[in-house]
Amino acid sequence: MSLLRNKALQGVMTQEIEQVAEQEGVSPEFIRQGVAAGTIVILHNSNRENVSPIAVGQGLRTKVSASIGLYGKNATIAEEAAKIKAAVAAGTDAIMDLSVSGDIDTMRKESLAASNKPLGTLPLYQALAEAGKKYGSSLKMTSEDIFEVIERQAADGVDFLALHCGTTMDIIQRAKREGRIDPLVSYGGSHLIGWMLYNKKENPLYENFDRVLEIAAKYDVTLSFADGMRPGCLADSLDGAQVHELVILGELVQRTRAAGIQVMVKGPGHVPMDQLKATVTLQKSLCKGAPYFVFGPLVTDTAVGYDHISAAIGGAVSAWAGAEFLCYVTPAEHIGIPDVNQVREGVVAARIAAHCGDLAKGMPEAVKWNLEMSQARRDLDWEKQISLAIDPATTRKVWKERSGDFSSKCSMCGDYCAMEIVSQYLGNNEQHSC
Amino acid sequence: MTQMLDARAGKITEEMEIVAAQEHMDVEYIRQGVADGTIVIPKNKKRNRSQICGIGQGLDIKVNALIGTSSDRDQMEMEAKKLKIAEEAGCHSFMDLSTGGDIDGMRRQTLSLASVSVGSVPLYQAGIGAIKKRGSMVAMTADDIFGTIEKQAADGLDFMAIHSALNFDVLKSLQKCGRVADIVSRGGSFMTGWMFHNQKENPLYEQFDRLLAIMKEYDVVLSIGDAIRPGATADSLDEPQIKGLMVAGELVKKALEAGVQVMVEGPGHVPLNHIETTMQLQKRLCHNVPYYILGFLATDVAPGYDHITAAIGGAYAGMCGADFLCYLTPAEHLGLPNEEDVRTGVTAARIAAHAANSGKRRKKAWESNLGMAKARIALDMDKQVKLALNADKLLEAKAKEHYDQCTACGETCAAQIAAEYFGIV
Repeated sequence: MSLLRNKALQGVMTQEIEQVAEQEGVSPEFIRQGVAAGTIVILHNSNRENVSPIAVGQGLRTKVSASIGLYGKNATIAEEAAKIKAAVAAGTDAIMDLSVSGDIDTMRKESLAASNKPLGTLPLYQALAEAGKKYGSSLKMTSEDIFEVIERQAADGVDFLALHCGTTMDIIQRAKREGRIDPLVSYGGSHLIGWMLYNKKENPLYENFDRVLEIAAKYDVTLSFADGMRPGCLADSLDGAQVHELVILGELVQRTRAAGIQVMVKGPGHVPMDQLKATVTLQKSLCKGAPYFVFGPLVTDTAVGYDHISAAIGGAVSAWAGAEFLCYVTPAEHIGIPDVNQVREGVVAARIAAHCGDLAKGMPEAVKWNLEMSQARRDLDWEKQISLAIDPATTRKVWKERSGDFSSKCSMCGDYCAMEIVSQYLGNNEQHSC
Repeated sequence: MTQMLDARAGKITEEMEIVAAQEHMDVEYIRQGVADGTIVIPKNKKRNRSQICGIGQGLDIKVNALIGTSSDRDQMEMEAKKLKIAEEAGCHSFMDLSTGGDIDGMRRQTLSLASVSVGSVPLYQAGIGAIKKRGSMVAMTADDIFGTIEKQAADGLDFMAIHSALNFDVLKSLQKCGRVADIVSRGGSFMTGWMFHNQKENPLYEQFDRLLAIMKEYDVVLSIGDAIRPGATADSLDEPQIKGLMVAGELVKKALEAGVQVMVEGPGHVPLNHIETTMQLQKRLCHNVPYYILGFLATDVAPGYDHITAAIGGAYAGMCGADFLCYLTPAEHLGLPNEEDVRTGVTAARIAAHAANSGKRRKKAWESNLGMAKARIALDMDKQVKLALNADKLLEAKAKEHYDQCTACGETCAAQIAAEYFGIV
């Protein structure tokens, strides 16, 4: 079977390339070149029927991903499926099923069926959970167990796989040496590190990286390198452990591309505002322009309960600086598991961030959208404002609740509408419906 | 005397001491900043209150909340509630933007309830007073305006937004440049309507010395209103905005010469790629006086979530030198905020301010982040609650015992092994 990336390199316009080019309003040739160069990935597993592929990368609209998944005893597949629906309704571009317990296989099948958005997973979670059941402890997990789960998930049709391929023993020791404040942030990373230390073994995903590539090639899955050493507080940002892992991931990006497989790199995490641009620039340089899939980033550690706002700040500036894919952060971050409403809020906040980045980059669609909204606002055309809003249902609700019982047409200024007063004197009152 | 004149005379006031202690800085730095005009301390001579703060270069970024009645909703009790909520949420000041009902009564209520500094836009009351007294806003006289300013200053307002940086030259630019949203500032629109109708120059511009005399008498911080601020990202950094900023700069110079504390209000809708330029221009043209911004909103398309778009723009502007952030609530562009919106708005603006303070490595901000990181590792919930910018959601979750223990690993959690290795147990 010929891989999408190899076809692009050969100059073949695939159906997926045509499809995403149309979505993005760019030429298929632009997409083909990006895929060939590795600066664009098209999320699409060759085994999955119902996926509507999306492209992530340089020169394209910034995308967002929402994470759901079974966690803890009270989680149900039905509720997680409802979160997928809510995330899709709120406009997410992709879903990640990060189930760590329960019936993970069934959940994944449900996640694949629940929407036609590309689905990502983190196979290590399932490998750990199954080892916990099978051997009584996840520490007894074998390398074989990990690869078996990766293959199972890829065969099911997962479009992108998050794998901690770059978290090596060297890096773990560096983190300890340097006295990282918070060395255990990534759930998968922490468990993998524990497994490596307990078993005194190198990371199998690093050591047997060619096996990862073989599986990815079989199903044409996009790899998403997870960062076991992502900073979990501002003070750890851009420390030796994080940068070292990025160096290794850069090397693995080249091996992945050479194997004809698409790859992107995951990023932080907690990043102070003065380091956002540096973080993206470094990733772009070390990882040879591979798309950057950042988690937030959160620009403060203390906005607990409001981390979707903290993440929107970091995400917007990062998107502007070149990060192409934002993993949402919900208001439940650092508190618990998000409910359906928090999933929705997380998606909208991430979409606002992505869009602010796109607008700053001068992307024509983003500029046009803002202009249309501003015109609708000037014209006091409420229906148009609502239809153009990033979340029309919420906009309508807030509008009704905060002005529905008021007498004037626009309660912001009540009887003293700035636009109306000025339009009388600047001779453009015909545009004004108030 | 004003704080600024005291500072220039080498005198360290009690307010400067308070600000220095709050900011963990040398009081001489504060005095020099006040003398130079890079720092303002809003404190009307006539008003006593418990909370003092400084705004400006080298200090933590501060946050302002808006309250006030309107023609659609005139409930002083509700505004009193909002004031309490906003103070609890941690705002550093208020602006009372009342335009409905008993504006005098509302202002006095705000001044008596607030423990932080209070500002206003006197032109609102002057314009609405003219409608009542003379039948139309355009019948307002210069004496009406200055009379209102004097009355409000005598009541004890600590800062006032006054639309002086608007003149026919700026309006000519506006007419020829073809903006998407001409004027979105309400005070700016009042003044524009008045000027066109009467074919007279803006009295607040023309008689600026008269204004300065009042500000000086009570030591009110003059906040030069941004009458011509962009109300759409497409209008950002256009000719009228820059002309307005240049006029503001000239007026700032006069205020500084007169020993009047002064800051400048800013936009509005500004895409991320315009923020640094906007900030540098303001600082350069306005002689480095504090910049008090409304947002910035980094996109136009998120009504219902403008507290978030403003947090994005405000945080980045803070990194570029903005000193004072006016909050936006989820009700912006849609209606009047309720109590919950006020709480959300203050929290979002504080996150933006804190993000910038952290990015600038401000000591207090940086240490609170570090403290939170350590409290998280130690699973010290009490400390997390203490260090949270707003602990309400954390406490809610705690009350519900939302914490669901992960049991995936079986007997021994692999992450626990890693924790032991790193000495975190």
